[in-house]
Amino acid sequence: MRRGIGAVGALLVVLAGLTVGTVPQQAGASPAEPVHRAAAKKDGFTETKTLTRQFVQPDGSTYSFPSHTVTVTADQTENLRGRQRIHITWKGAQPSGGRASNPYGENGLNQEYPVVIMQCRGTDDPSLPVAKQLRPQTCWTASVAQRSQITRSESEAAWTADLDAAPEDKERVSGVDPFPTAEECPTADIAPYYTRLTPFVAANGTTYPACDADHMPPEAAVGAAFPPSELAAFTDTDGTGSVQFEVRSDVENESLGCNTKTACSIVVIPIAGLSCDRPADPMSRADQACRKGGRFTPGSSNFANDGVDQAVSPALWWSASNWKNRFSIPITFGLPPDACDVLDPRAPTGFYGSELLAQAALQWSPAYCLRKDRFKFQLNQISDEAGWNNMEAGIGVAAEVSSEHDRRGTDPVGYAPTAVTGFSIGYQIDKPDNAGEFTNLRLNARLILKLLSQSYVGSDLGRGHPGMVHNPVAIMNDPEFVALNPGLSEISQEVGATVLSLSNSSDVIQQLTDYITQDRDAVDFLHGKKDPWGMVINPEYENLDLPVALWPLLDSYIPETESDCRQKNPSVYFNDLAAPVTTMRKIAEALLDAWPNVQTRCDFDPSTGLYKLGRIDRQSFGSRFMLGIVSLGDAARYGLRSAALETKPGRYVAPNDRSLGAAVALGRQSAKYQPFAIDQADLRKAGNAYPGAMIVYTAARLQNLPQEDADKVADFIRIATTEGQRRGSGNGELPEGFLPIEKKGVTAELYDSAQDVADAIEAQQEPKSHPTDGPSDDTGSGDGVDSPVTPIDPPADPEPSTGQDPSATPSVPPAATPMPATEPVGSTLAGGLLPMLILLGAIGCVVATALRLTLPVLRRRG
Amino acid sequence: MIRGVRALIAFALSLACIAVLPGTASATVYAQIEGTGSTWSELIVQQWIADVDANGMKVVYTGGGSTKGRKDFSQDSTDFAISEIPYQGTDERGQADTANGREFAYLPIVAGGTAFTYQLKVGNELVRNLRLSGETIAEIFTNQITSWDDPAISKDNNGRKFPKLPITPVVRSDGSGTTAQFTTWMDHEYPSIWRPYFGQSGLTSYYPKKNGTRMISQAGSDQVMNTIKGFSGNGMIGYVEYSYPINADYPVVKVLNKAGYYVEPTQYNTAVALTKAKINQDKTSQLYLTQILDGVYTNPDPRAYPISSYSYMIIPTGADDPRMSTAKRQTLADFMYYSLCSGQTKAGPYGYSPLPLNLVQAGFDQIAKLEKADPDVDLTDRDVTSCNNPTFDGKHLDKNLLAEIAPQSEACDKVGEGPCGTETGNNDPGAPGDGDTGTGDTGTGDTSSGGPGDGTGSDGGGGPGDAPTAIDPDTGLPVGGDTSATGGDAIYANPTTLVSDRTMDTEAFGWLAALELLALVLVPGLFVAALRRRRPARTGGRP
Repeated sequence: MRRGIGAVGALLVVLAGLTVGTVPQQAGASPAEPVHRAAAKKDGFTETKTLTRQFVQPDGSTYSFPSHTVTVTADQTENLRGRQRIHITWKGAQPSGGRASNPYGENGLNQEYPVVIMQCRGTDDPSLPVAKQLRPQTCWTASVAQRSQITRSESEAAWTADLDAAPEDKERVSGVDPFPTAEECPTADIAPYYTRLTPFVAANGTTYPACDADHMPPEAAVGAAFPPSELAAFTDTDGTGSVQFEVRSDVENESLGCNTKTACSIVVIPIAGLSCDRPADPMSRADQACRKGGRFTPGSSNFANDGVDQAVSPALWWSASNWKNRFSIPITFGLPPDACDVLDPRAPTGFYGSELLAQAALQWSPAYCLRKDRFKFQLNQISDEAGWNNMEAGIGVAAEVSSEHDRRGTDPVGYAPTAVTGFSIGYQIDKPDNAGEFTNLRLNARLILKLLSQSYVGSDLGRGHPGMVHNPVAIMNDPEFVALNPGLSEISQEVGATVLSLSNSSDVIQQLTDYITQDRDAVDFLHGKKDPWGMVINPEYENLDLPVALWPLLDSYIPETESDCRQKNPSVYFNDLAAPVTTMRKIAEALLDAWPNVQTRCDFDPSTGLYKLGRIDRQSFGSRFMLGIVSLGDAARYGLRSAALETKPGRYVAPNDRSLGAAVALGRQSAKYQPFAIDQADLRKAGNAYPGAMIVYTAARLQNLPQEDADKVADFIRIATTEGQRRGSGNGELPEGFLPIEKKGVTAELYDSAQDVADAIEAQQEPKSHPTDGPSDDTGSGDGVDSPVTPIDPPADPEPSTGQDPSATPSVPPAATPMPATEPVGSTLAGGLLPMLILLGAIGCVVATALRLTLPVLRRRG
Repeated sequence: MIRGVRALIAFALSLACIAVLPGTASATVYAQIEGTGSTWSELIVQQWIADVDANGMKVVYTGGGSTKGRKDFSQDSTDFAISEIPYQGTDERGQADTANGREFAYLPIVAGGTAFTYQLKVGNELVRNLRLSGETIAEIFTNQITSWDDPAISKDNNGRKFPKLPITPVVRSDGSGTTAQFTTWMDHEYPSIWRPYFGQSGLTSYYPKKNGTRMISQAGSDQVMNTIKGFSGNGMIGYVEYSYPINADYPVVKVLNKAGYYVEPTQYNTAVALTKAKINQDKTSQLYLTQILDGVYTNPDPRAYPISSYSYMIIPTGADDPRMSTAKRQTLADFMYYSLCSGQTKAGPYGYSPLPLNLVQAGFDQIAKLEKADPDVDLTDRDVTSCNNPTFDGKHLDKNLLAEIAPQSEACDKVGEGPCGTETGNNDPGAPGDGDTGTGDTGTGDTSSGGPGDGTGSDGGGGPGDAPTAIDPDTGLPVGGDTSATGGDAIYANPTTLVSDRTMDTEAFGWLAALELLALVLVPGLFVAALRRRRPARTGGRP
């Protein structure tokens, strides 16, 4: 009996432990640093200038406005590549007003006191011949309105009163001599209107008069594939501002023509307002226009695109008193990497699979085709499952996958670790009140589950969804999100109800959903438990079996609305909201353009006379909010920000070398030639490992692969894991977003395994694997063989990738008999009942004991 | 005057700059080209673009639909367009559909089949082997057949009856070449069904949708696929290029051809069908190289997939084209050289069908127009002899090797036979050997289902679908008489009309399990407690 009481006591203690949750909390997020932070570059640019706006008064005296001492810096200026983004910051400038929803190209024209930033051919060196100097005529703009003022009334001809302008530039028509004929530019010279042309001189010498859209260089076409890169950036009320400016080489913009031989500059013009001539008496309209000081207060927005005061607008950047305020940042372009010859007669060898490898494959393939002694490598991006099937069916020589796949054929398959990378939740979020971009997003598993499971109602259209009446409209209204990411706008947007994801089966989704299943709060939410703020999961997703490789679209709610368009296009609202796409690259591009793939727009198309559904508009600068699942390679290539994900409660880890290395250290290989599974449960325990870290494997058959192909695959694995792991942006090098696999350090096991698999693929006969053999011969000797769970998480966060610490490389003994994975089977009902019943039983026992002890006493009394 | 001299000097200097540029490792100079258009061919075009990046070529392609592609090209905002159909002159709505005076040429880039993908569940299983005749498809997309238990569908599937579930056709809302291909086929083959519905004859890029029907329209092939795959997609059917269902691992309809076989749009069946495509060979015609598909629709080969077609690139050929430069033309030429040759090798795996060499050769003639427009474009050695095209047969350039090696259709795919148990939508070329007409096990080549031939109900307790001679619970009669050709365990076309899985079952059994568990835990305790209570009573009486 006493033993019984002891057991009950123990049980109660266990229960208490479970419910109270005594897991120690580890506070603090890992700093969000990029996966590969480039070594501090010596190049860069800083310059300080004092800008003053001046008016010559009617009496001939000069009135000077308070000066602005502006400092402009740029982080890198040398050996640039096309589409590279340069970080430009400034301070001390006049605060801007009337912020446009989009500062790029002509959309940015209706702003006041912005900072115009553009790319120009030539450098600002008076000692150079004119052709090599930059001029307004060599500065790129994507539209006519940004460079020319066509048939303006006098009150819109402020430039004719510019104090610093040469006399010929103050004429009614100016800018080109001789002025284009009426035949060429019919709208240019119409008296009494004023016209100023700033022609564009292309690299090949062609001059485009820029008097209308037909007289602009071809790259300036309306609706060009690349949005404009030049912009009128916003200065915050404290006088500072920053942008990521995208440079274009002659490959992207032939007319501008910047390359390794043609020097170019980035020109930064803080608009301080035109300086004005002594006015006529009485003051002419142009004089008045020149002296205007703006109609928007600093920090205000102008999303309605109302007109602005021309004298302080970016449209007259070329006018002498603006132009003289320019900062010219000289930039140089690197040699383009050698490229494969399209006439190469060798047939390409196709590897099929993971998009995670895309950025690496782009840099790797020239390293193969440029060498006669190598084969021609090609990565065909396709879903992991399809890539695997192609490999087994012999359509592709090998597959690139990032998890273990079920074998359908009879040939054994070896997995060679080829790259360490992963995925992230990329985001593009602006802080409210034009305070710049948000850079520190944190998400946990439950928030991701809320997004994926379409549990936010999105808009009034989704509010009628059964069972979700009290759910927030979008993540920005979710108290859980707000608490985690304070200071963001809580104005709901439809796009805040979703994270742009993949429509195909993918190992990425498998891992992301596996991450969700390791979070108790998320699992409770999945099983229908309200979150602390009363939000519930979309009933259609309740108890969904996770993890899954293909996220299903389970909703079927079609809103009832008065809208004629929606009545004619009855469509599942939440599916249109989610609108997943086929590739992560599309997601990266949507994020880059801040153009959500939300397909809920319903309108009348006059050209066809039909109502139709379609994609919503691009987002406005200053109020961007978008989330998407991207590969770390794409995120690094396009400069997208990645959210930090929760590991231990309260601890948030962003993707970087350290957190990827910590994740790799958790990898466990079940048997020789098999993949290293990173268990999400271990990962949460470790705390410092990034949950989105993934190892990409080259998987190939170990038997019955034609020897010629086998040799190629073995070559590829050996090259990819040696020279392919050197960091850099050159041919054959490893781009950013990847953690190099090295012989030493945390990735040593991956390296060894890759070499073993390469040998086995080459040999094409699977050697008998002895369970007692270590996975490799040269590492992990001696200690640690019999301790499968080597603690690798000292609290001091060691730098695993440096590999100085041998204890960070636990060697894993291969399991003697790999067990087939067991399927977790569960039922909420039973899951909830079991503890309840045990508790009931325990209470029963206690009551029985109590009764047994007290009853005789009572009886005796009685 | 001075200005003029300066300009001259500047010009000379810039020329000198170009002239003294030492050749980088690749002799050719490329500039980025951009295009818009078809989503039908987008999946493979994007892969080609990724491939040629290694050659230093930058190509940007953004889809948006064929109509948008043709329009953008005519407005000089792109360097090329991709479209399923040529410029129509005037479109079906009276809008101008021309190149707006821009000189251009058509260039076939890839072939493929317009597939019908669907979600149809019997019990909780996805049907993966649905077969339909062209007539049934036309009637479905004109709202004449509105339920999956329609006798016409049953007849197409050799008597197998599907659940009484309304059919929801999903069409494209944007101007689409896929829609144009589909409606061209209906207009040719089933004018009596199509024309009364459309209200006129001919094709359309904008699918006409009638009020009060279940039809849904979505923008882009991706969204059509998402909608059908979605949970509420049960009963939906839509048209997309074959690559989309393959990517999504979703089934496609086997369509009846003139030879009486139901076939899937694999690369082989598409290639076979297109051997009967007439290509406009009149080089002076504005429509040079465009397709006339009448012969494809009625191709008598048992393997031919009727709704097969080519996709076209529209390239600018004018010498004074406002957007083109030597570098851009060179990029376009080399991009096409890659796509037409090596690029075709991956057409099959991606769900398309490679172009036969005669079309590749004609394509090279079109590429040559770029050199004609600009003599600086280098086309040396870019011809069929250096072409890594999988359909190539060195001796007979006009033959499509692929069509010759295409596997024969299965006997169970014939009208009045089957249906086959094999799954569709997984890009399985089928049994490579021809003449496999065995009646026993037709699951050959199907690597995705379990072991072949274990269709004898070995998976204990299997649903009625597994047993070919199941009893219809409604009628109590044996159904699905002809079952000789159905081996394999992948029979999803189920004769019974189970609407869906019954949630009641799981709930009831759940409660039962809970009750049992409760009993399991409590009964011993209660029993012991009861015993104990009796014992103290006895012992208590002793003193």
